[in-house]
Amino acid sequence: MSDVMLAVDGWAVHLPGRSLADLPGSPPEPACPPENAKEVLGRKGLLGKEPSTRLALCAVHRALGLPPGPLAEPLPDVDGTAVVVASNLGNVQTVCNVLSDMRERSGSVVSPMDAPNASSNVIASSIAIRYGYAGPNLTVCSGATAGLDAVRLAALVLRSGRAKRAVVVGVEPADPVAVELAGLRPGTPKELTAGAACVLLSLPGGAPAASGLRCGPVTRHGQRPPAAEPDTGELYGAAGVVQLAAAAARMSASADSAPSTLSCGDTVDGWSSLELWRTAA
Amino acid sequence: MLTCLGDLDATYKALIAGQSGVGPLRIGDPAKLNVSRGYHVGGDGPGAWLGDTVAAALAAAGVDPARQRVAVVVGTGLRELRAVERWHGDGAPLELAQLHYGAAVRAAAPGVTEVHTLANACAASGYALALATDLLELDEADAVVVSGCDTMTESMLTMIGRVGDTSADMVRPFDADRQGVLLGEGAASVVLQRADDRPVLGILRGVGVNCDAYHETAPSQAGIVAAMRDAHRRAGVDPAEIGLVMAHGTGTALNDPTEASALGEVFGSAGPPVTGIKGAIGHTSGGAALMSMLVALTSMAEGAVPPTAGLRTPIPEASGLDLVQGGPRTVRPRLAQVNAFGFGGVNAVAIVEAGDE
Repeated sequence: MSDVMLAVDGWAVHLPGRSLADLPGSPPEPACPPENAKEVLGRKGLLGKEPSTRLALCAVHRALGLPPGPLAEPLPDVDGTAVVVASNLGNVQTVCNVLSDMRERSGSVVSPMDAPNASSNVIASSIAIRYGYAGPNLTVCSGATAGLDAVRLAALVLRSGRAKRAVVVGVEPADPVAVELAGLRPGTPKELTAGAACVLLSLPGGAPAASGLRCGPVTRHGQRPPAAEPDTGELYGAAGVVQLAAAAARMSASADSAPSTLSCGDTVDGWSSLELWRTAA
Repeated sequence: MLTCLGDLDATYKALIAGQSGVGPLRIGDPAKLNVSRGYHVGGDGPGAWLGDTVAAALAAAGVDPARQRVAVVVGTGLRELRAVERWHGDGAPLELAQLHYGAAVRAAAPGVTEVHTLANACAASGYALALATDLLELDEADAVVVSGCDTMTESMLTMIGRVGDTSADMVRPFDADRQGVLLGEGAASVVLQRADDRPVLGILRGVGVNCDAYHETAPSQAGIVAAMRDAHRRAGVDPAEIGLVMAHGTGTALNDPTEASALGEVFGSAGPPVTGIKGAIGHTSGGAALMSMLVALTSMAEGAVPPTAGLRTPIPEASGLDLVQGGPRTVRPRLAQVNAFGFGGVNAVAIVEAGDE
């Protein structure tokens, strides 16, 4: 297991309306909704960005520890940084709006600004463009396990040497189409929650500012595994990363050094789990 | 492999004959879309196409997921957003898990250890090839099924019709009078294993992947060149050793000059033959890299490289390239380069070596 261990170097949870008081990793004041993303990111570059992209950018910006506003100077090590995004419903509202506008009137009424949003990898590429990350850029759309699948694939590109650091994001929006689609999940799902989270991962020993937090390999399960982390809402493909970011924030802030297990999944897609612990340093 | 021209054998024969599978668009209203042509497969849709190619690839390789650790990586541009459109616009039933391909793959290949659906735009199956090589090199799988799969959506067609000036009659890669891209449907799967003495279709020498970090839709020559050089380094080859380039060649205003200039920068003035298959099978998006790779391997085995369907007069940027044009080229290269570049500046370049003769 030691050879697939990763260092967790940074984290942020960005669930609109949630603050540090009720969810670790959140900002001190309630996290802003996507329409107010300029409070975190500055005004520039947000025109035409979907809510999911805005939430994802807010989570990345905060996980990097950057002050509010545009980048003051280029970030270091961008060539060796991978971006791995888990999202299933990020662009479904745009897809359905474009369809309806085209069918009811004509394709000519659709804004060309929406062209990038028709492609499901728009969140990951928007993160790469804003922060300059030229490493592997992955968009994972594998359903309820997508969040931890993203951690799994981040571990792969780190261990194979394709990247030295991975920016891993889980995000889902809660627009009307996304909420209705999420309601089609098996069982009696709760209403979808909008939110994003980001964790920064590297191979142990690589990051200058070591948190001492480590996570192990992602393991798959046919049934829901026992997980120690509390439920954070109905987050679908974002769940795994939100759980990991919240657990990392909680463990780094407390004296409690007991390892924690977190999981995500459902009856159709199966489950994945991951262990998080603090090294005795 | 399944394209509008049939399976790999039928597709290759049609490519050699210079045929194109383009036809009238079968989804949506061409007048409203401003797109009237497409490259259709027909039948049961992407999940079924994908399942069929996964099962066929495993059977051909003699790999049994019940006896070995078999992972599956599916590259797709549009996922099953067509089913979401039918649900939203036509009231068709939908299960949310249809949106990704986990269930379709597991039904065709029970017992696989993991299924990843990567929505990496038009470079998706090239990215899937890269992750598969990592899984094998790190001994996290005994075999990896790499798949690419895409259908068309009315929303993407709307965007193509909205951004393009005129309605293209076919995809014309590197042509001076190209009118833009048209979509192609289909799926392809291959099984990768660590090399040993068994006979193989080919050897995947290395795959380079990166991101331009430049623009949401426009390509960057610097990013593409970096991906090519990364692929050459991973494959341990010099550009002069490469005997064939399968170009991305989408027939768009931006891709073709950028790709042609990047090839010129990497290969110089005496580069290898360059061909492209999108004039014949359309832009198959997530499946494009894998389909180009399979055509490259077939071309190397048969000793004949198909011409670039749709190309008449090359653009000035391609004047230094040895574009295969007019008819097939009788050559038998040993190493081929496969280009795939997607929206968001995601690039994947694979180097493949010919299999046993």
